[in-house]
Amino acid sequence: MIYNQAPFDVIVCGAGHAGCEAALAAARMGASTLLLTGNIDTIAQMSCNPAIGGQAKGQMVREIDALGGEMAINTDLTAIQFRLLNESKGPAVQSPRAQCDKKAYQFRLKHTLELQPNLQVFQATVTGLVFTGQKVTGVRTNLDIEFSGTTVVVTTGTFLRGLMHIGQNKNEGGRMGDFSAKTLSASFLEAGIELRRLKTGTPPRLLGRSLDFSKMEEQRGDTSPTRFAFYDSRDPEDLFHVEHTGEQRIGWHHATNQVSCWMTHTTAETARLVRENLHKSAMYSGEIEGVGPRYCPSIEDKFVRFADKPRHLLFLEPEGRSTNEYYVNGLSTSLPFDIQVKMVHSVPGLEKAQLLRPAYAVEYDFAPPTQLFPSLESKKVENLFFAGQINGTSGYEEAASQGLLAGVNAVNKVRGEPPLIIGRHEGYIGVLIDDLVTKGTNEPYRMFTSRAEYRLLFNHGSAELRLLHHAKAHGLVSPSRLARMEESKRQIEHWIGFLENHKAPAGQGTFGDAIRRAVTGTNSTHVMPVLPAEFITQPEALRQEVLYRVSHSGYLSREQRQIDKLSEIEKIKIPPHIDFLQVRGLRKESALKLSEIRPYTLGQASRISGVNPADISVLMVLIEASRGGRADA
Amino acid sequence: MSRPTDTIAALATPVGTSAIAVVRVSGPDCMELAKAIFGGPPLPPRIARHSDYRDVNGCLLDDVLVTFFHGPRSYTGEDSLEIASHGNPFIAQSILTDLLARGCRAAEAGEFTRRAFLGGKMDLPQAEAVMDLIHARSERALAAANQQLRGSLGRHLGDLTEGLLLVLARVEAYIDFPDEDLPAEDRRIVLDELSRVLHGTSRLLATHHYGELLRDGIKTVIIGEPNAGKSSLLNRLVGRDRALVSAEPGTTRDFIEERIILGPHCLRLIDTAGLNPTPAALERLGMDKTLERAAEADLFLWVLDATRPLPTLPNSVTGRLTPSNTIVLFNKVDLLTPGNAHAPLPSPTLPTLQISALTGDGLTELTDSVVRLADAFRQGQGDEIIAINSRHADALRRARECLETARQKVAENGAVELLASDLRGALDAFGEIAGKIDNERMLDHLFKTFCIGK
Ligand SMILES: Cc1cc2nc3c(=O)[nH]c(=O)nc-3n(C[C@H](O)[C@H](O)[C@H](O)COP(=O)(O)OP(=O)(O)OC[C@H]3O[C@@H](n4cnc5c(N)ncnc54)[C@H](O)[C@@H]3O)c2cc1C
Ligand SMILES: Nc1nc2c(ncn2[C@@H]2O[C@H](COP(=O)(O)OP(=O)(O)O)[C@@H](O)[C@H]2O)c(=O)[nH]1
Ligand SMILES: [Mg+2]
Repeated sequence: MIYNQAPFDVIVCGAGHAGCEAALAAARMGASTLLLTGNIDTIAQMSCNPAIGGQAKGQMVREIDALGGEMAINTDLTAIQFRLLNESKGPAVQSPRAQCDKKAYQFRLKHTLELQPNLQVFQATVTGLVFTGQKVTGVRTNLDIEFSGTTVVVTTGTFLRGLMHIGQNKNEGGRMGDFSAKTLSASFLEAGIELRRLKTGTPPRLLGRSLDFSKMEEQRGDTSPTRFAFYDSRDPEDLFHVEHTGEQRIGWHHATNQVSCWMTHTTAETARLVRENLHKSAMYSGEIEGVGPRYCPSIEDKFVRFADKPRHLLFLEPEGRSTNEYYVNGLSTSLPFDIQVKMVHSVPGLEKAQLLRPAYAVEYDFAPPTQLFPSLESKKVENLFFAGQINGTSGYEEAASQGLLAGVNAVNKVRGEPPLIIGRHEGYIGVLIDDLVTKGTNEPYRMFTSRAEYRLLFNHGSAELRLLHHAKAHGLVSPSRLARMEESKRQIEHWIGFLENHKAPAGQGTFGDAIRRAVTGTNSTHVMPVLPAEFITQPEALRQEVLYRVSHSGYLSREQRQIDKLSEIEKIKIPPHIDFLQVRGLRKESALKLSEIRPYTLGQASRISGVNPADISVLMVLIEASRGGRADA
Repeated sequence: MSRPTDTIAALATPVGTSAIAVVRVSGPDCMELAKAIFGGPPLPPRIARHSDYRDVNGCLLDDVLVTFFHGPRSYTGEDSLEIASHGNPFIAQSILTDLLARGCRAAEAGEFTRRAFLGGKMDLPQAEAVMDLIHARSERALAAANQQLRGSLGRHLGDLTEGLLLVLARVEAYIDFPDEDLPAEDRRIVLDELSRVLHGTSRLLATHHYGELLRDGIKTVIIGEPNAGKSSLLNRLVGRDRALVSAEPGTTRDFIEERIILGPHCLRLIDTAGLNPTPAALERLGMDKTLERAAEADLFLWVLDATRPLPTLPNSVTGRLTPSNTIVLFNKVDLLTPGNAHAPLPSPTLPTLQISALTGDGLTELTDSVVRLADAFRQGQGDEIIAINSRHADALRRARECLETARQKVAENGAVELLASDLRGALDAFGEIAGKIDNERMLDHLFKTFCIGK
């Protein structure tokens, strides 16, 4: 049975972190959107730890907010602990992180989806895609209902042929207690889309009242929380589109009443248990064919790869206010259940711990992302978009970022508008997507600040400024918010100019010079100049941004110069139907690589490994020639 | 497409031993550059002018032929300069180095041609030919670069890159994993490794330095009995009267050194006092010094008077002469008459040539033979000599600058993310020589050194 005669503009498959952002973005742009998900009660579920943000990820959440996404505000409103990481280091590498109430997080997002105009949410498992020629035109579901759509965004996470391991024990599912999407993979293969296997793992969950916290060290939240959303620019109505002023719901305590985490560590006994039972671990006994990450995804890896390290740190993170469940950060494992119990009991404070859920590893299909254009549209199947863990990434923030972009670009595709593509120099989301589609990944891809060439420009506070023009071009924020964003940008530029051009009192040179001496100078006797009163009364976020840009102007302009140097080739688009193998003067190796990746710009082409500057010169000449124009066109 | 805003420079003739070397410059700064380097009134377009090339410090590098082309009437369509210098690579390279020091950027393979196209100097049917040309040029450049990188330059650079990646991994770990259970930050390890990389970079860079190459040129000693014509030969090779030439035996008591450039080599030519089997007291002194010099020589030119019987040399000298470091020169062949052949070879294995220092006969063969010996000698030196080019030097200089700032930051406990920025600056500069260095390599080190995981 076909449900709808007029196709939805966008059908999103899977309401995880990617799917939710995709659906909201599409609907908010005014497109008719359908979000299908296997179980409405697990919308936006955090499969692993109950935390959002952290290094690089925290910055990404703020970028999501700048692009009108939901993750930041949903985190702020359901967080139970806030911490700013790297507070002692410079602004560029400070990252907000929050522990969330897992259920509150889900409920609020579910409610937000329910109230979103243009969006329809429906519980059904997608079993296959409907193709018309080389285009996707709809989806089939387990209820024998077909939905037709102009575009389809696939955000099925770890569910494709998901297989969970606890020692020798195996269960099908994308996550404990959940189903495994078994037939959808076949649909992709049928369309010529390549799939591969990856694996990841999660630690056991414990019952709080069975733990002895007196043996652990308390880790409290920050007294003044750093929140994710940009409240200086956001409209009151989009802040309160689910909640209402003064209202209190379970778990939604806006940055008040923070809850603590607790630190403990493994012991010699834990190490012995792991070593003696290594052969029983699913990861080490060859039960799992998927590839794990280079970093240590499990306690087995830690003891094997760092044999001389006597103990490993563990964090107990509360899963919410209305539950006594605790997540044991640091104890991921795929050892059999009986060993897990002994391991947990070997840890100070956990001697009598009761397990609520076992640790397990999961392996799943992913579609290597080099099969995508930077818009996240498939190169093989037109109008089909992929986002989230199915692209080989790991992490809620990585998933949400991609979801947002895929949602926006599905709508752009429907409307024949150019896609939203964020540059590597504009934000972590740009780095993420460029890495995925240009280089692909062999392990679950996680964002690190070191992946960004222009990290110093990516301080979390500047996300709106960096992405403003994209938000504007694609209509991702309300006109009133956009106006405030633009005004704040103007103010920041004004104040930078002011501080650089006006003399500070007491012969310290300009304010700028005095600030630089005080902040980045090595002589500790330099003190901050007395700043003009009018500046001091500006909003705190604005002041911080101005001071950062002034105090670090040397380093920031160095990064800016590098960006400018490359900007020419970043701007040159490669005609989509070019046959690289026929291009004279290209080396064979490069031609093959180029035809696989089919880069969108010369900049992207230059980042493909094995493509050298001469190849770029050749392409540049070709593009100019085929454009028919020459100099200064 | 907008016009490029920077000015690029590169050698336009292949590196080698052609009679002239052309350095080509293209971009908006050409006119300014010409004024700064050559002084005087603006150069008239398209007319080659003879002029001294003085570097930024005012030192004379060479007398050159310079031609200014006013855009768009130039190869690239931009303002351009062509500077033709004497054909030895040292001069051309030092001119290029100077241009980079004056703010030019080393051109990428094919960049002149690309600019020519973008500048509208070529019509569409020519585009494909241009692409072929860029391809061919880059293949050649690539082959040359690969060869260089396979050798000791590559080895040194690889070693420095690994060292730097280790440092960076140690720094990045504390930026990206503040919540992990990392050992206390140990800046001493970072400082030690960083100092090692810095030292290595400076050493590599030193191999480029023109003056240093001159100072370290191949020691070539001219030996022979008094009056054989040693000083005359030196003067011939140098091209002016440097050594005192006299009909009196034993004139050259002290050593006369001259640096000459033969092909790609710099030679330190040393004239010596004659080795007289029966010396006077004063001569004795000079001879002892000659023997000392001979002991440390790299190459020998043994000058014999072809009209006289074969002299005997001290064993300490003859013991060092081998076919790979010596050329025996029968001088004064202009005085030989058909019936009056020179004496037989002193050692049948040593290569010999007949020359006349007076007329210049046989000098070309001589320089060719010396270049061949020097080639072999340089190769035998292996690791010690890495002649990097200006492009490399330019990158290494930037790397060194970044590394120095980084080291200072480590010492002063400066901000870690800025330290990382300096280290990446250095890494990028290394990458310009050996190919871009992927961040994955840093992450490999990081995850091997530190236990990271949830
Ligand atoms: C065991 C485990 C451990 C993990 N550990 C970590 C970690 O340590 N660190 C980390 O950063 N990340 C970890 N993750 C990954 C993190 O959970 C994901 O990266 C993130 O949730 C991915 O978001 P997503 O939206 O792509 O997919 P998911 O969050 O997996 O959401 C997929 C959604 O799609 C729905 N769905 C699936 N198939 C269908 C279908 N056929 N039809 C309809 N609906 C469907 C599902 O019901 C679900 O709602 C872990 C995940 C798991 C399962
Ligand atoms: N005819 C002739 N005379 C030469 C030649 N080379 C050197 N002489 C002369 O031989 C004399 C000694 O030369 P000199 O270079 O001082 O010899 P040295 O003592 O070995 O340095 C001088 O009078 C030179 O002019 C040559 O090739 N032919
Ligand atoms: Mg003499």
